[in-house]
Amino acid sequence: MGSVDRECEVVVVGAGFAGLAAARRLAADGVDVVVVEARERVGGRSWTDTTAAGATVERGGQWIGPTQHRLQALADELGVVTFPTYTAGQAVEWRDGARHLYSGLVPTSDPAAAAEGVAAILDLDLAAFEVPLDAPWTAAGAADLDATTLGGWLTDHVGAPAARAVIDVAVKAVFGAEPAELSLLFALFYLHAGGGLTTLARTTGGAQERRFVGGSQQLAVGMAAALGDRVVLSAPVEAVDHGDDHVVVAARRSDGAGWRARARRAVVAMPPAVSAQLRWSPPLPGVRDQLSMRMPMGAVTKVHALYDRPFWRDDGLNGQLVSDEGALCSTFDDSPPDGSHGAIVGFVAGDDCRRLERLGPAARRQAVLAELGRAFGQQAAAPLELVEQHWPAEVHTRGGPVAICVPGTFGALGPALREPVGPIHWAGTETATEWCGYMEGALSSGERAAAEVSSALGRGGGHGDGHP
Amino acid sequence: MATREEIAEAYADWRGRSNANERLKKMARGWDRVIHFRTTDTAEGFTVEVRDQQLSDLAFGPADRPDVIVTATSEDLCDMFWGDLNPSERYMTGEITLAGSQHDVMRIDAMTMVAFLDR
Repeated sequence: MGSVDRECEVVVVGAGFAGLAAARRLAADGVDVVVVEARERVGGRSWTDTTAAGATVERGGQWIGPTQHRLQALADELGVVTFPTYTAGQAVEWRDGARHLYSGLVPTSDPAAAAEGVAAILDLDLAAFEVPLDAPWTAAGAADLDATTLGGWLTDHVGAPAARAVIDVAVKAVFGAEPAELSLLFALFYLHAGGGLTTLARTTGGAQERRFVGGSQQLAVGMAAALGDRVVLSAPVEAVDHGDDHVVVAARRSDGAGWRARARRAVVAMPPAVSAQLRWSPPLPGVRDQLSMRMPMGAVTKVHALYDRPFWRDDGLNGQLVSDEGALCSTFDDSPPDGSHGAIVGFVAGDDCRRLERLGPAARRQAVLAELGRAFGQQAAAPLELVEQHWPAEVHTRGGPVAICVPGTFGALGPALREPVGPIHWAGTETATEWCGYMEGALSSGERAAAEVSSALGRGGGHGDGHP
Repeated sequence: MATREEIAEAYADWRGRSNANERLKKMARGWDRVIHFRTTDTAEGFTVEVRDQQLSDLAFGPADRPDVIVTATSEDLCDMFWGDLNPSERYMTGEITLAGSQHDVMRIDAMTMVAFLDR
């Protein structure tokens, strides 16, 4: 086996919310655990940064909504407080080259189309609620649902182009993918896991309801601080050797030195498309490897435009934009709680994300600024700073906000998402049954994987039937 | 503040339009429910039924085990019934609240929005 740098009972690969939640739970069960993280920071897809001018920006996940109880409890424990997303006033709809203002959940410039859109979203959400969260592949007609795409369903159910445009924008912002990319079965599961598309699209009462004062990454930093030197940073894992009762993970430190940990069990807390890049010895079972290859990451660039003040509020605007043209599909007011400066956060998603990446950073920047100007006035086209976080370029995540399932994958291979492979257990928000794709789902997935491991090691906190 | 009579008049208008709206009738298919409205300012309560895709007349007084409870000011309810208020705005600010099962709340949320948009 050669020498190892750390002997432990459990090694966790990935110090995002899932990996840290798993390690924290295992440590509480008295398990000797080590977390190995590729980056020089913890948090994974949660990343709070400070700009050159000193503004706080959330490069990754940033919101908390109702029913995200684990995330709220963690924030409470760490003394991190939340504040409501700014929603007072009207939103901007950009459609067919014209600007409209609206209030409420859906753009209303074409009321009949909006009504059709609302009815279709209800149909979609009601269908989603029929898909069982713990085993979506057992849903009635699962094979047929998995053989079609969300885009196909929308084509069949939504006639008015304006209605379709609004739903497409919501889908792109939620998944970082086009409706045509998404297995209908997977999309229905995902919507159910987050309380429906209406909940996922909402600010108040939904997934974008509140933000963390000081940023979401504090929660990861807080979990890591309690774990102390059990968290090893800047050590990208390259290979995993595993047998019936042992795992050796091999990482490469930034100075080129190898680093190895040997454990009885491992929790792999990374997106499937990233775990697929590790050298597995022996190779993973076909179903797991095939699944990993067919769960691409969404494509999203998160954009933050910073201003000296939130001037759009003076015009009665809430900073929200829904757009069918250009770079950004949606935006939100991202100003700090005291409004001491102005900030708009926006999403470039799906085909737009890929198209603008090809055109280059300058073209993307120009497209974003032009769109902000159209939506919120010329002042918006000249921010003090523009911070872009292009997630597909993050080698340790490969995209965002979440992995999606292409058709023909979830139904046949879905069970392999969580099924352990020998001593390997799987965590990560993609494996969650509630709030899949969100920080809440990441936490629950880590806790679930930790319970599996504790149980396998015969420790407390597991399912109580631990065997040696 | 709106009186009982004003509420009844506005509701009758909403009921007439809703019962003739094909999209709403389709959305109400198989959804027979008892809906209780409660006003926050006038402490008024009244109940309506959705049965066979049609809204019933309203009955003032307490409800016997309603499926959904809608709470709002008497003014907002009248404005919504007349089609002058997008209820979605008030849900988002919490000024109109819907209580019931997740399914029923989703339905009435969507159906009241459609009633406004299709007015």
